[in-house]
Amino acid sequence: MATDTDPDGGIFGDESETERDRTGNPVVNWMENLSEAAYAYLLLLPAAALLSLIAFYPLIMTFVMSLQEDRTRGLEPLGGFVGVENYVNILTGNARLARQFMDVTLSGSFPFIEFGVPILQQALFVTLGFAVISVFFETVIGFGQAYVLDQDFRGRRWVRVAIILPWAVPIVIQGMIFFLLFQPEVGFGSDFMQWLGVFGADPLADSQDSFIIVLVADIWKSAAFMALLILAGLQSVDRSLYDVARVAGASPLQRFKMITLPLVLPALLVAMLFRTMDAMRVYGLIESTAGCTTVPSLTCLVVEAMFGGTRIYGTAAAVAFMTALVIGLIISVYVFFFRDTQGGLT
Amino acid sequence: MLVIKGLERALFFGMGQYTTDRTVGLSRRQYLTATSVAAGVAVTGCLGGARGEETIVMTGDTDFEEAMRGDDGPAIQEALWEAGLDDDIRVEVQASVDDTDQRMQAYQSTLQAGRSPPDIFMMDSGWTLPFILREQTTSMTELLPDDVLERVEGEYLDASLETARHPETEELHAVPLFPDFGLMQYRRDYVEDAGYDTSGWDAEPPSWEEFAEAAADARDEAGVDFGYTTQAASYEGLACCTFNEVMTTWGGAYFGGTGALFEAGEREVTVESESVLDAIRMMRAFIHGEDDEHALDGFPQIAPTTVVQWTEEESLGPFAAGNAVMHRNWPFSVMDLGAEEEFGEDLGVMPMPYAVSEDDAEFEGTGGSAHALGGWHLVLNPNTERTEMAVEVIEAFTHEDVMLTIFEALGYIPPEVELLDDVDEDEVGPLARYSDQIQQAADNAIPRPVTDIWPEQSSVMAQEIHAAYRGAKSPEQAMGDLASRLDRSEADVEEQDGD
Repeated sequence: MATDTDPDGGIFGDESETERDRTGNPVVNWMENLSEAAYAYLLLLPAAALLSLIAFYPLIMTFVMSLQEDRTRGLEPLGGFVGVENYVNILTGNARLARQFMDVTLSGSFPFIEFGVPILQQALFVTLGFAVISVFFETVIGFGQAYVLDQDFRGRRWVRVAIILPWAVPIVIQGMIFFLLFQPEVGFGSDFMQWLGVFGADPLADSQDSFIIVLVADIWKSAAFMALLILAGLQSVDRSLYDVARVAGASPLQRFKMITLPLVLPALLVAMLFRTMDAMRVYGLIESTAGCTTVPSLTCLVVEAMFGGTRIYGTAAAVAFMTALVIGLIISVYVFFFRDTQGGLT
Repeated sequence: MLVIKGLERALFFGMGQYTTDRTVGLSRRQYLTATSVAAGVAVTGCLGGARGEETIVMTGDTDFEEAMRGDDGPAIQEALWEAGLDDDIRVEVQASVDDTDQRMQAYQSTLQAGRSPPDIFMMDSGWTLPFILREQTTSMTELLPDDVLERVEGEYLDASLETARHPETEELHAVPLFPDFGLMQYRRDYVEDAGYDTSGWDAEPPSWEEFAEAAADARDEAGVDFGYTTQAASYEGLACCTFNEVMTTWGGAYFGGTGALFEAGEREVTVESESVLDAIRMMRAFIHGEDDEHALDGFPQIAPTTVVQWTEEESLGPFAAGNAVMHRNWPFSVMDLGAEEEFGEDLGVMPMPYAVSEDDAEFEGTGGSAHALGGWHLVLNPNTERTEMAVEVIEAFTHEDVMLTIFEALGYIPPEVELLDDVDEDEVGPLARYSDQIQQAADNAIPRPVTDIWPEQSSVMAQEIHAAYRGAKSPEQAMGDLASRLDRSEADVEEQDGD
């Protein structure tokens, strides 16, 4: 047994050598020994890095650009560093744009603020107003539709198709429908609404009338989306809960408040979050109906500044960054206030 | 194949890991190898792609693409070869959207990214200058042979050339392909039936006052809905063209006459002058009638209020349907409606009516008939690797026969407008019947004041003029607001130059 020296070390030494042989290099070796969870994270890492690069690199570059001066001629697209000047111009209504981000001045008397131009010609308020009103009506109508679809009745399938149909219409076609509806030569919309006394003679040239048109067009289409998501929530509610409630003598209103609403709320919030994000970004619908000059949204402003023809990249970047900021703030309201909702957003 | 095999093995061993511990390591390695190889293959697969070595790519619309091939009519490609273009060089049209704004946006990205093809851009004369001032074009003065340059400088319509020149060096950075003019079209039969003599209108237009009376009377007599249709939506066309025309015929100007059209910075803003206000007041009368407190006296209501929603297509609709007496549009509608099966000889074209003669105009170069200048230029992409061939193509486009072929195929007016003298209606269609009026329009063409900040200024102009037309603002208030905004943008440019 002369060769059998140092039995402990020998055996372990041989084993670790075979291990090295098998894997070839220490990195792989390390990878092989990771736990299942750690390995999963490792695999997710490249995708996460790529996604954050895609998400944050443009945002940071946009911010850097937004601190530089506009340069409308010469080869260099941007001028020198001007600090927050572009932001000041945007917030005071002095941006080099046909429609302003916001144009509000403080005043000494009630209501203490004054609008430089009508409120529906300021992109921030148009967008916020559009988002709040459209999401409100879409939620209410969507809930109603989902409630109907959740019942058992003859012809339910047809009703379901009818409700979902608007969602299948492409956005530009939808825009054209409403555009033509309010072209006096073509559609009956103008005459009818004028007869009701709601609209003026040329609704598509008037900011207020056009705002309503865009709003209705969006609600008409997107209520169906809300209905679908809410319906999914409704159908997951355990029916026996209603039986129990009925036996306990709960009124329909109580059943809705105590059972339906709490159980549907997580799905409802997700649906509302999606819709709010969409509404804050509204552009295509406006462009294909009334046009961005008549109803300026935040995205309209970004597109106009970036692609309007005059090279004002500094201003464009500042508008884009402000838009991202506003949308981010609105979304964080949801995330913050409803963070405790079970199965909700966080 | 290797990738697929790798993936198969990865999957196989991946499933295996739940059964035996020994395969875990293998599965992870195989999986990583397979995915990275797949990603590599995917990326390299996306690269590459080639085009013919003697193909010159130019942008255009679908009509131009068809005409280049000669799908139904004379082929522009053939004409180019006959004009001396090397037989091996083929021109391929990369057809894009019809909409001029969207095309501008596309070119902006292409040029900013330094890409080619296309080797030649077709650019709107309304926004070629911003590209020139951003140094994204090449001087054609250096590239074109002397005789060609001489021909272009000598024969081409001056107003078109002005929008193709670098305003500081005076060098040509684009070669006009065709000019376009706003034309006043009317139903001769309706107007004659109402008792008006139109025989002199081909050469000398009526005054705006007579025009409006005739439109109103003919409308009532013929029992049609509209006296006059035009474009007054809040868009580029209002600022560059329809209002620019009306304003000029009243002797008004945005920036004090035609001397200061192309250099932004120190121009005097003159939109508050009485001549500009009168132009708006007349349009207010046309749209809202004499009851409007801001309407000009003595002008009847002839246009529907809906004109404030109309661009070219929408305003053409009622006229094409025989439901309007007078109509302002571009030559394409004359080409369509002048055909025998449409209105034929009943379609009249007159020089633009005017209110103030050139001698009495407040600003230099204004007054008298005025026709907004549109049209498209050929611009060499400075990033092209085929400069020589591309220049050869552009050169071929300057030949008269090519111009006439394009006129015949598409109705694009030759940049050498005199060529229209010799065209025959039977050969080239109804536009030839109106060649005198078109030439007169060319003489009175009024370009928009295009500079690097024109797109920015034009949207503000359109917005304020639109507000005044609609009655949302009084003419004085709208032009006052416009003046302060234009002053500000002029100052912005001057500041920028100063640093």
